[in-house]
Amino acid sequence: MSNTPALEVENLTKKIKRKLIIKGVSFTLYPGEVFGFLGPNGAGKTTTIRMIVGLISPTSGTIKIGGKNVRTEFTEAMRHLGCIVENPELYPYLTGWENLEHFAKMDPSIPKDRLDEVVTQVGLQNRIHDRVSTYSLGMRQRLGIAQALLGKPKVLILDEPTNGLDPAGIREMREFIRTLAREENLSVLVSSHLLSEIQLMCDRVAIISKGAVIRTDSVENLLAEQERVIWKAEPLSLAKEILEKETEVQEGLDQTLITLYDEPQLPIWNEKLVTAGVKVKEMRTQLPSLEDLFLEVTGGESID
Amino acid sequence: MKKYTLTIVSAVSIAATLLWLFGLGWTLQDQFTANEKFQKQKEKTESATSKKEDGNLTIFALGDSLTRGTGDADGKGYVGYLSERLKKKSEQDITLFNTAIKGETSRGLLKQLRQSEIQRQVKQADVIMMTIGGNDLFQQGKVLESLDKNAINGKKQIYLRNIKNIYKQLRELNQDAVIYHVGLYNPFSNLQDAKTTSSIVRDWNFQTAETAAQFNNIVYVPTFDLFQLQVENYLYSDQFHLNTEGYKLIAERVASLVHFEQEEKNDE
Amino acid sequence: MINLVRNEMLKLLRKKRLYVIILIIAFLVPLFTYAQFKEIQEQREKMGNQDWRTVLQQEITDTQNRLSSSRIQDEWRKYLKIRLSQQQYYLENDIDPRAPGAPTFMRIFVENSIDLLLPLLVMVIVADLVSSEASGGTIKLLLTRPVKRWRILLSKYIAMLMSVSFIVLSVAVLSYVISGLVFGYGGWNMPLLTGFAVSGDELLTDRVHIVPQWQYILMEFGLVWYVSVIVGTLTFMLSVLLRSTAAVMGIMLASLIAGAILVNMVSSWESAKYFFMVNLNLTNYVSGMATPIEGMSLGFSMAVLAVWGLAGFIIAFVTFSKRDIY
Repeated sequence: MSNTPALEVENLTKKIKRKLIIKGVSFTLYPGEVFGFLGPNGAGKTTTIRMIVGLISPTSGTIKIGGKNVRTEFTEAMRHLGCIVENPELYPYLTGWENLEHFAKMDPSIPKDRLDEVVTQVGLQNRIHDRVSTYSLGMRQRLGIAQALLGKPKVLILDEPTNGLDPAGIREMREFIRTLAREENLSVLVSSHLLSEIQLMCDRVAIISKGAVIRTDSVENLLAEQERVIWKAEPLSLAKEILEKETEVQEGLDQTLITLYDEPQLPIWNEKLVTAGVKVKEMRTQLPSLEDLFLEVTGGESID
Repeated sequence: MKKYTLTIVSAVSIAATLLWLFGLGWTLQDQFTANEKFQKQKEKTESATSKKEDGNLTIFALGDSLTRGTGDADGKGYVGYLSERLKKKSEQDITLFNTAIKGETSRGLLKQLRQSEIQRQVKQADVIMMTIGGNDLFQQGKVLESLDKNAINGKKQIYLRNIKNIYKQLRELNQDAVIYHVGLYNPFSNLQDAKTTSSIVRDWNFQTAETAAQFNNIVYVPTFDLFQLQVENYLYSDQFHLNTEGYKLIAERVASLVHFEQEEKNDE
Repeated sequence: MINLVRNEMLKLLRKKRLYVIILIIAFLVPLFTYAQFKEIQEQREKMGNQDWRTVLQQEITDTQNRLSSSRIQDEWRKYLKIRLSQQQYYLENDIDPRAPGAPTFMRIFVENSIDLLLPLLVMVIVADLVSSEASGGTIKLLLTRPVKRWRILLSKYIAMLMSVSFIVLSVAVLSYVISGLVFGYGGWNMPLLTGFAVSGDELLTDRVHIVPQWQYILMEFGLVWYVSVIVGTLTFMLSVLLRSTAAVMGIMLASLIAGAILVNMVSSWESAKYFFMVNLNLTNYVSGMATPIEGMSLGFSMAVLAVWGLAGFIIAFVTFSKRDIY
């Protein structure tokens, strides 16, 4: 990763009718990384994204795209940005090609042959001259990405990109996004309320809840921090009794106990169990899902 | 093809915008600019119309409600019936300009004669028809306020002075046209005081005729006798103006005079 | 900017609204042509001869009759008086105000459509110019381009102006071509009177002058265009303010129809003359008809419309560049 950030969001706030909806969000995107923006519906994901793309003006804070301030250098900043906010809503009465032409004309820096490039990139060559109203959702999604890529942006912002796609479509999208980040050195901001998706797609994640970013870290780090040990032992009650003296214990499914992963302590706990006559049948470490993680950091806020 | 439609529609739209802007500009210039231009155009109109009216008979009517035709069910008045009769008799096209105003007094008429448009029309007239004085004498159809001789005399003096001026002006504007001044009748001849009112009207008519006689070609047409008897049959429901029958009577009388004049004119 | 306007024109064309408008006009014009044709025919039958002078004279006496009735309202009397002196003027100057011919039809058609039909047509085009982008969600893509918001709105405004011109032109061309089949295509040079001014009870004729019909028509179309642009601007503003095209149309429709009704009722409510809806009938000033409220004149009406239009324009641009889009 290079050191010049592609997107910088600093202390962003938004007040609507005296109510603070976004409470100082900050994060940074670097070229070539896919950044996940995770939070339940209503947490402020969409509002934040709309502030980044200039649809909503922030109450305070700065947003820089490719080093250009969205507020003061709107045109220059937008030149580095491609986005799909929510659904890819294009003009249904125009053909795919006319749609792209329409958006290309709005930026004089886009050369004419760029249209063919992006169409090939998203694989829409066969249907590009049909009206958008005849497209399937997946095709619209692809056309949406094509228009976002028109201006060779440094930052690509995708709000819920897999919304409404079938499993095959979701996988395709995921791979496409990863390829873009890798090959074009693009930074991609993906928002989602689906944890599994973020986990599979992103390098780093910001978790947002109630208008504030709770944590920002790489996916591995976040998960590693929450690594657990699962014990299978007999008799279970005795094992629990002993372990509870050492650490926090939860009862898992299938007659198991779960404790935190604490590398230096692990042999000691084990020894104690054995000396107390507990038969330790199995002892394994497990990475938790982001689901668990999320529940943990948000304090149990519901998520789909 | 599709691409061309866009270009064509756009080009046409832009051209149309320019055209309408031009039209709008022209409207502003035309409706708001100073009178100079209008004066010029008016002159043009004048010559155009006077040329056109050569060869047919132009009747110019002025005065009060009687000439206007108030009370006539068809709104034509004696001037209307007159022109219809003349048209039939002479088989000539007759152009009628009626500038009579309801409630006009001799003073008002004098004022009206100062308007350039009226003057222009007087100049073009072959025959001039007028009624005036009724409103000087009677107050809007009421019986004479008082039969006080002095008051009526005062009114009469003012009227006579005005009518003289009117005659003079008309003659100055147009030396040839015969002026038919249709006289007053007594709408109250069936009421009490008929004798007094009739004598006032007769005197009024006499004095006017005397004044008219001082000028060339002014015919004072009496109507007093027409409605002396059974005036109620010829009066409109307001008991002052004439009804259709009444107007027709006047038209008949004037028509016989005009026809004669017209032939004489043709002979010249 | 040219590219942006081109985009807007493309969308307008692809939405097929312009074609619908042309179809509406093409359907209405034969209808009115037939009505006009019938009217002329009936007049001829009634009169027994074709001399318009007799017809006009008859009209004058009709008017006089109505005037002599004491039961008519003052307002109506005033109107009749003005009409009367105008008709007399026409007669005296040997000018047939209703000589049939395609240009005459065109003139009558446009005079009668200035206060309702044309504004409605304009409204149909303009109502969804911005609101459809909002309701269709495409505004999000439109506003995340490297183009400032006011430029995007300006391109839409220019497209609006162009389509208004196009509609007015369609009205002109279609009414001429279609009615010409019945009335013939001549009559461009027929002289017409204009410059009437109404002051209180009187029709002032001191500025009356003659213009050839083609100039008269061009002038009237200029005014029609002006009115359409103002109505377009106000619709445009509503289109910016509201997401729903139906709401835009509803409000515009209500105010236009209210205007048509108000014109007949407001003569005693003087401040109603500051509403834009009662000032739409600009061509009446050119042809010398009575004003709905005393103190109205061509200059006044145009100024009132200009103020409304300017306010609409400013509101539209300020809201559009400041608004948050959710």
